[in-house]
Amino acid sequence: MTNDIQPQGNIHISKQTIATIAFQAVQRSYGVVGLAPKNIVDGLTNALVKDPTHGIDVEYRNDLINIDLYIIIEYGTRIKSVAASVANTVRYQVEKTLGLPVNEINVHVQGLRISNSD
Amino acid sequence: MSDGRPETRPQVIDGPYFSRLIKASLTWLKTNQEAVNALNVFPVPDGDTGTNMVLTLQAAYDEIEKTSQDSVGRLAEKLAHGALMGARGNSGVILSQIWRGFSKGIGKIEVLDGQSLVHGLTQARETAYKGVVRPVEGTILTVCKDSASAAEDALQNTNDPYEIIHEVTEAAHRSVERTPELLDVLKEAGVVDAGGKGLLCIFQGMVRYMNNQPLDVAPVSVKPLSSIGKQEAQNAAEPGQDYEVIVDFRPYNPLNLEDFYSDLEEMGTSIQVGEGDGIYRMHIHVPTDKRYEPIDYTMSLGSISKVHIENLMEQVEGQEDPDITDEPLKLTTVEPGQIAVVAVSPGSGFTRIFASLGAAAIVEGGQTMNPSTQELLAAFENLPTDRVVILPNNKNIIMAAESAAELTVKNVRVIPTKTLPQGLSAMLRLIPGQEMDEVVQEMEEAVQEVESGAITTAVRTVEIEGIKINRGEIIALHNGSLVSSADNLKDGCLSFLDAADADQYELITLFYGENISKGAATDMADLIREHYPDQIIELQYGGQPHYQFIISIE
Repeated sequence: MTNDIQPQGNIHISKQTIATIAFQAVQRSYGVVGLAPKNIVDGLTNALVKDPTHGIDVEYRNDLINIDLYIIIEYGTRIKSVAASVANTVRYQVEKTLGLPVNEINVHVQGLRISNSD
Repeated sequence: MSDGRPETRPQVIDGPYFSRLIKASLTWLKTNQEAVNALNVFPVPDGDTGTNMVLTLQAAYDEIEKTSQDSVGRLAEKLAHGALMGARGNSGVILSQIWRGFSKGIGKIEVLDGQSLVHGLTQARETAYKGVVRPVEGTILTVCKDSASAAEDALQNTNDPYEIIHEVTEAAHRSVERTPELLDVLKEAGVVDAGGKGLLCIFQGMVRYMNNQPLDVAPVSVKPLSSIGKQEAQNAAEPGQDYEVIVDFRPYNPLNLEDFYSDLEEMGTSIQVGEGDGIYRMHIHVPTDKRYEPIDYTMSLGSISKVHIENLMEQVEGQEDPDITDEPLKLTTVEPGQIAVVAVSPGSGFTRIFASLGAAAIVEGGQTMNPSTQELLAAFENLPTDRVVILPNNKNIIMAAESAAELTVKNVRVIPTKTLPQGLSAMLRLIPGQEMDEVVQEMEEAVQEVESGAITTAVRTVEIEGIKINRGEIIALHNGSLVSSADNLKDGCLSFLDAADADQYELITLFYGENISKGAATDMADLIREHYPDQIIELQYGGQPHYQFIISIE
């Protein structure tokens, strides 16, 4: 939970909430065609529990929000640009929605999807 | 760009011509780069869509610059490769996908005909849409899709690639205009999609090249009719251009703006052209002996409905204002131990008013030029007293004032005045010899007793708190919050007074800004007197920039 001290009490925001915002942003990011489990155990868990935000890890470290994205990129796009762009989009959307700064966004490109035959 | 266009065009596009078309696209995109950048609505780091698209297309063109003798198929392949390698930002990535699809769609052809052009564009559409899970409509993707559909339609009637490019460009233009309907963020910001506009520029560049139109001159902008008037012209009076001429006319034929501008430039300066409902308004400053020339010239283009000629030198002389004097400013000298007031003022008029009320130091600053903590410190550090009150008079300056208070050994108190009327109201309570706590308390009470208004012109089209504001409209702020938008100053002032319940108070003071003449301000005061016969109306020169009027009600 991340805490924001308010005069009338505290506001708690779960990691799941942030992951959902990030998920929506990733889906609209050009060049990203999917999210991937970060390891086999994760993949198995996800096969059992249908988690809409698999592939997105949110962590709080010393009151800072860190987000890890595990993505699949469309083959034929410039990976560096797509990765930079998805990080920007996620940061913008999360910060806009929460009103809290995001410390770090790490993009892990887990694979490429080849949809054209060239 | 007149080199090498064949007199009678063959029905195909060969390699050299294809590469010249791409160069034209790049040039035209560069010409419009800043205009495209200005459309960006997301303040994200890769937000310079125009720049990103230029860099991407430049990288693509670099690949073919030296090999323009190749086949079109081979050139497109190289373009796609270059765009991929050079893709910058989101729009750049999409553009590279479009080129990749185009290259794949046309295949290994020698020359481009209508059929293969359409294959290229439809494949570009497919490829572009494959790159995203949930495509957002109202973006470059939509423009790409609509362009490809237009190409398919055009192919029913012609196999001429030149004609198809024309059709595609027109469809792209309509599609760009439609983007705000599809995407709310665009509509709220009052802009079209930047990436879509960039793609349109690429098509337009080709069409302009085919039509022998210039590529390095940005299209002249036409302002809304209401934004062109005499007021802004007065500031621009320059020696030798003694007459201001404004002509309203309805052109017989569609106006070629570039020719129109260049003809006018030969006559005078400060040229502005506005349009509304088919009527054009032309504004120009000309020397005395040429004062009828713009009228004769406009008459040759259309039927004139209104002419306005004014001698600017008269205007400038008439503007001399008893309130605006060159007398040196006289600040109050404080004795050791007395309370000194430091006031922040945005204009010469306010500076004089604060000085006359007993301010010991004035720091210049306001809405768009906030003074730094250092400047505030410097204003009172050398005063011969250790008791200081700061009036920031703007909510953006309160913080700097508080930092200044912390950085000094003097006893400094900040009265959090957010507006100038609040500052003046607080100033009136100053008794230099009194106890600090009492003065501060008196001043803080005074701040509560005044209503502040500000009247200004909107610099862009937005929607705030449910009120739709068009660029150039007059907006009224009550204690910093927007209360209304209006077509003219009169309605703006009256709507503010109404919102602030001015009829419940005794005194209404109008402070007119640097861009309002004394005459116009007097007229406004008279008008308010008619509407508020029970209140005392005062008029003062404030000299503030941006705000036509600052109004205090107490």
